[in-house]
Formats: sequence, C-alpha cells, structure tokens
Amino acid sequence: MTAAGQALDERAAAQEDGDDGRLGSGRSWERLVWGVIGIVSVLVVWDLLTRTGLVSDVLISSPGGVVRAARIEYESGILWSEIWATASVWLTGLALAAAVGIVVGLVSGASRIVGHVAEPWLRLLYSIPELALIPILIVWLGLGYTFRVVIVFLSSVFYIAINALAGVRAVENKYFEVAAVYHASPISTFRTVIIPGAFPYILTGLRQGASRALVGAVIAEFLAANNGIGFMITIAGSTLNTSRAMFGVALLGALGIISGELLRRIESRFDGWRVS
Amino acid sequence: MTSATTTASADLVATDVGLRYQVASRKAEVEALRGLSLTIRSGTFVTMVGPSGCGKTTFLKAVAELVSPTAGSITLGGRSLQETRDQRAMVFQDASLFPWFTVEKNAAYGLRMRGVNAREARARVRPVIEMVGLAGFEKAYPHELSGGMQQRVNLARALSVEPRLLLMDEPFAALDAQTREYMQAELMRIWNQSRVTVLFITHQIDEAVYLGDRVVVLSSRPGRVVADIPIELDRPRDLRVKRDKRFSEYEEQIWSLLEIRQAEAGSGGSA
Repeated sequence: MTAAGQALDERAAAQEDGDDGRLGSGRSWERLVWGVIGIVSVLVVWDLLTRTGLVSDVLISSPGGVVRAARIEYESGILWSEIWATASVWLTGLALAAAVGIVVGLVSGASRIVGHVAEPWLRLLYSIPELALIPILIVWLGLGYTFRVVIVFLSSVFYIAINALAGVRAVENKYFEVAAVYHASPISTFRTVIIPGAFPYILTGLRQGASRALVGAVIAEFLAANNGIGFMITIAGSTLNTSRAMFGVALLGALGIISGELLRRIESRFDGWRVS
Repeated sequence: MTSATTTASADLVATDVGLRYQVASRKAEVEALRGLSLTIRSGTFVTMVGPSGCGKTTFLKAVAELVSPTAGSITLGGRSLQETRDQRAMVFQDASLFPWFTVEKNAAYGLRMRGVNAREARARVRPVIEMVGLAGFEKAYPHELSGGMQQRVNLARALSVEPRLLLMDEPFAALDAQTREYMQAELMRIWNQSRVTVLFITHQIDEAVYLGDRVVVLSSRPGRVVADIPIELDRPRDLRVKRDKRFSEYEEQIWSLLEIRQAEAGSGGSA
C-alpha cells in the first residue's frame, strides 16, 4: 500500500541521512548545487529559444514574461487576495479532512469491529477519483464556497484516514503487551500507545493529503470561482495570456513546496518514534 | 529434588498448569505446557531454562496474564492472579520502551497506569532510576540509549511499581556477550537491594546458574518441570564465581539434563 511503502522509503532515507554524518552533508551540498544548475539551465534554454524566435513566446511564454506577469500581478494589488482565496479554501478543507480523517483512521485501527466495518469503505472511497463526483456535487451544492471546500475535503480525507489506520496497524504488538502488563485501561492505551505510535504516519498522511487537497482546490476554482489562483489561470488561458497563466502555475508550485517542506520538517522531528 | 518450601512462605504457586492453543494458519493445536507445577518462595531468585520452544515464555506470559492456562491454577500469595494484578511486573525480552516517552516517563509508566499522579510518579521513579544506574538520563529518549541502558530502563519500569513478583523474559538475550555479563552482575547488585521474588527465563545455562537460587529445567514441548536444582553458591556473587569448580558442575548437570531431553524429543513421541 502507498502509505506503508512511502513510510518505508522515508525510514530508509532517514537512515541514509543519519548514517554517514560528514559524507552525507557533503552530498546534500552537492545535490543542492546540481539541482540549482539543472533548473537554471532549463530556464536559460527556454529564454534563449523564445528570444531567438524559434518558438513563439505567445504560446509558451518565457521566463522573462513570467517575471513581468508577476510584477503586474503584484502591482495590481490583488495578488495577495488571490493567493488567500485559494489558501483559505485549501486550508479550511484540509483542516476538516484532518479532523475527520485522523479520528476515523485511529478509531478504525483501535477498535476491531469499527475497523471491520470502516475499512472496506475507506479502501473503496480511497480508490474512487473524487473529482468524478464533481457533476453530482454541483447538483447538491451548487457552485460556491461550500462546493470548493467539499472538493478539497474529499480530495484529502481518505488519504489521511488510510494513513492513520496504517499507523495504528504498524504499532508493534510489544507496546500493547507493555500496556497490558501494566493494566492500562483502553483509554490509556489509546492515549499512550495508539496515538503516539500512529503519529508519524498521521503526519505522512497530512503531507500527502495537503498536496492532493491543493489539486482539489485548483480544480474547484477552474469550475466554480470568481477569484483564486485557479480562476486567475483560467482567465489568463482564455485570453491567451500564457505568461500570467504560467505565473499562476508557479505560485501553486510554491504553495505546494512550502507546505510539503514544512510538514516534512515536522515529520523528521518524529523520526525517533519510528525506530524501536 | 530438594524443594523445601513451606506453603506459609510460598509466593508463586503453579499447580498442574496446562496450556493448549490453536494455530490459526495450520489449523493445528499446540500443547505448550502440560502438568507444570512450580512453587517459588518469597524473596528467592528462580531461573528457568529449557530447550527452545519448550513453553517457558508461555508460562511466564501465563503468570503475567497475557495468556490464560487451559488447565491447572496459578496463585500468588494464595490469591488468584486477577486479585494480584498490581503485585506483578515484567521485564520484556525486547526492551519495549515507548520511543515517544523519555526514560523517566517510561520508568513511571506502571505507576501512572495505577493512577499515581505525574509529580508523585516522578518522585518515586527517581531513586529507582538511580538504583539501575541511569541517574542523569531521566530526560533522554530510548533511541539515544544503548541496548544495555534500554534494559536498565525496562528493569526500572518494573521495579518502580514495587512488585511482589518480578517476571523477566530473557532480558539480556539480545545484548552482546560482554554487556550481558556486565548486566548480569548489575542485576545481582540491584536485586541485593530490593530482594524481590524473581522468575527469570533464559536459554543461557551460565546465566541461569549465576543468577538463580534455583534453576528449574523444563522439558521440551509440552513443557513441564523435569528438574529443580538448588544452586548453593554463596551470595553476593560476583562474576568470578563463574570460574568456580562447583559452577561448572552445575552447568554440566543442567547441560546433560537438556541433552537427554533433546535426544528424547528427537527420537520421537516422548513426554
């Protein structure tokens, strides 16, 4: 399963980083330099191609064009409100998904019977592309703020729940034996064993859920919004302003990277919890 | 064998304990224990050895109420296991410390689960942490500790509830040979201070002889007691006792008992 597989990869990655102190940091410095060189060289080639007129900058824009679009957007004074429009829907939907997903996942993992009932549903809903529900959701909710929040919610809630469930399942039996030997009550066991044991997986679920939720927020804005980054891209596209559209895409990339990096840092603080 | 115990001072009494369980994957029934009887006097250190898979850990888990015997009875101080829940503690084979708690909180776990408030638990755990030699590490996390240190916390967690009976399940098996020897000596030092009744499972014969007032030898599965050997070596014992002639005689004796058992099991259908 994705969640477990990813967790394994990350554990391996964490071990790699930790093992060879000096060598490792040397490598990550090297990685940064080559990463920057890779990005810059593509941008330079892209810029040259459009400057020499080999490709039309109307169709694919150019790095310079994107920077100009960014400046226009910034100077118009509505840039922050566009970003906030997307971010507020994204964060609201994600917060609801986190609250519901974590509780459902933990309880399904902790109670055998709830787990038996909930797991088939979670797996089913997890494999359905939520975006396919859009036509029905429009009928139910119309096109508005609620619709957008619900799309964001549905895009991430099952990821979060499945990861929390996998987290509980991954708690080693020996910890439950300790709780049993010291006669911990079910509530104490939940508090001292299940929640902390599943915590690293919950964070992984939140990180994956956050990026899925951002996709949901943008798709919702394509369909049903009069503000936000997704809306900005739609308008720019339909008026052939590719530079503005590309700038919107870059903004989304930045949001995704910032949130992902933030959560990854929080996750790495709990690496010690994964090792036994 | 010499097992001069009077019921008055008896602590743990196991009578004709049998335990069968179903193995789901093979649809087979396993008989782990049959007719196991054992009495442990208060304040003694009893070690238990037996061929691997003989059910010694199963017996320990039955005393810890992690599994239920299907026959016989186990009592502690004349009362049932359910009535004496808070008089037992266990030291696990794998240290099984919660990675999310500090040394102090791990050691205080048993007390906290008994409803002792955080401050009092911390105060009660301090001297125990000191006794196991971990003063200064109260705020450390388990992953920052070596295997030997983790086992000290495992022991502190059990001792801090001041149990009447301490169950130890091969706690040094995963340690390297040097650390194991050192921890055996440390355990003797700590036990001399607490004098709690101990049932200690091991597969290392020298460990069993070194630590035990008695070595109980189990048969291969289904496990029952085949020999109960009092170890008459002076206490306190330091590691030099392992070079004593009597020490090797005890080792020889237990070895031969186990070899006979293994051979019987190998020739098929005994016990």
